[in-house]
Amino acid sequence: MRPLNSILTKLIRNRAGKVKMVMAMVALSAALLLLLISVQLQVNYHQLLNQSNGSDSIADFLVINKQLNNGSMSNTTIADAQVKQLAQQPFVDAVGVLTPSHFKASIESKSSSFPFYTDISFESVGADFIDIPGVKWAWQEQSEFIPIIVPNQFLDFYNFQFSFSQNLPQLSTNILKMLVFKVNIYSPKGAISLNGKIVGFSDRIAALLVPEEFMQWGNKVFANQEMTGISRVIIKTKDPSNPALSTFLKRNQLTTETQKMRFSKYRKLVDTIVAIAGITGIVLLAFALLIFMLMLEVSIAQAKPEIVLLVSLGASPKQLSRFLMRQFLPPHLIAIGASLLVVGILQKILQQVLNNQQMKVSAWLSPYTFAIALGLVGVVWWVNKKGIQRQLY
Amino acid sequence: MFQLQNIIPHTLKDRPSIGHSDIWGKMVQLNPSECIKITAPSGTGKTTLIHFLYGLRKDYTGSILYQQQPLSHLSGEAIAVWRQQECSIVFQDLRLFPQLTARENIELNRVLQNPYCLPAAVEEMADELGISHIMHQPVFQCSYGEQQRIAIIRALVQPFHWLLMDEPFSNLDQANTSKAIALIERECKKRNAGMLVTNLDDDCFFNYTSTYHL
Repeated sequence: MRPLNSILTKLIRNRAGKVKMVMAMVALSAALLLLLISVQLQVNYHQLLNQSNGSDSIADFLVINKQLNNGSMSNTTIADAQVKQLAQQPFVDAVGVLTPSHFKASIESKSSSFPFYTDISFESVGADFIDIPGVKWAWQEQSEFIPIIVPNQFLDFYNFQFSFSQNLPQLSTNILKMLVFKVNIYSPKGAISLNGKIVGFSDRIAALLVPEEFMQWGNKVFANQEMTGISRVIIKTKDPSNPALSTFLKRNQLTTETQKMRFSKYRKLVDTIVAIAGITGIVLLAFALLIFMLMLEVSIAQAKPEIVLLVSLGASPKQLSRFLMRQFLPPHLIAIGASLLVVGILQKILQQVLNNQQMKVSAWLSPYTFAIALGLVGVVWWVNKKGIQRQLY
Repeated sequence: MFQLQNIIPHTLKDRPSIGHSDIWGKMVQLNPSECIKITAPSGTGKTTLIHFLYGLRKDYTGSILYQQQPLSHLSGEAIAVWRQQECSIVFQDLRLFPQLTARENIELNRVLQNPYCLPAAVEEMADELGISHIMHQPVFQCSYGEQQRIAIIRALVQPFHWLLMDEPFSNLDQANTSKAIALIERECKKRNAGMLVTNLDDDCFFNYTSTYHL
């Protein structure tokens, strides 16, 4: 320690008492822990919601159509203006149009050991709205096959109902992806057959999905009726539980899957818990900093005669402020460092627990958590500096 | 160089003796390297003047300039640097830290800025003034005479161009006063510094270049 500091330490002691100091440190650490945990949880939650493998991505995408009731039958198109209006809402990140096929189609197995035939219809959606990573979501007339995405529910329906009733074998996703189906398209001019291949399974949209290019071509060439307007759209939203979204849907007589809305309630619950933890952390932090501030002021007030004499002898307020910062800041920094370490360990444990349940979060703390910790260093530095300045100057 | 421009302490402004003072209400210039004596009976403001010159008090009319700068306009930081580099002081009431040892009291003033002298020089000064044996003692255990010598050494371990001394030998016997005078003269000469001494009576402690009556 520098000679000046060692003498100053004798003159200006931390006179708050060890018990009070330890209690304030515990309160501060608890506050910091709550704050950092709430930030990290929020990051983890967003990581789970926005995973690129789409395994848990249903909450962010909603398929919307007109309410169908006795009054609105045969009149369920969504006007272009309404789609435009939807896209302009602050709670909507993106809107995609789901285009249904306007031609008759069927698919059948090419294999005699697996005879399979069913009439079918398709829907198309842009590549931005599919959740199957690594798939080339495009089609040309020269393409070898039509890529098809199948809802998981359809597969479950086949494996656990249809296969039993038709005496067909059960099929895994891997086997299905290897099979090439015959896609038959019928029109007044005749029928044609193309190859189709399942490229993935999804929970996002409950329809057999094909690329937009194929749908445009099919509807143009084979449509057996006049093309009507948009019947369904898909939106990407950050917060499906946003009350403004449900109000908008109701006002425009639109509806979406209630199941997904139910998921949004869990999200709201998690958000609320995280927010409560965060707010509690902030309140606790404010109290802990207040206690530290009072302890700092008591210490300085008790050493006031010594400080006055030091200043009389030529000690500068800057020198004293620097010394006092060295006395009072380290406990805060230790508390922040320790809290960060604990949150880091908890995150590692959480990552392992979630990994066992096929949910992926990072094993490391997020940059946001580090940024908040850095911000907290700034806050405690500022609070100490201001407290000292108020007493010295 | 100090310039005193018609300064009158608020506490003394109504006293008739102000009119007879060589300092109060007058234009006075204290030149570098001068050895100045301020003499006056008790209660006429010697300590007040020392505190004005050291920038501790501002309760006066007129102005005190140091190198053309009004002292009262200096910020907290600037006055601290000025006290560390330009002006040292021996207070009449000594103003030592009783809980610190004699050595720590002196050391504090030595290390407030880049040290002007080495620790060995401090020990030599203590030896010269006969307080080596009490350097490790807390000041509250020292006699007033010893404390006065500690305060003198404390004032001499820092750089300065002016040394202000408020009745610095009031508790010293003749022998210790002589030793202190020799040390002070040597240290001031080393720095080519001026000194200003207040005392109750006429004295011949130093070869004064000017004498003022308050």
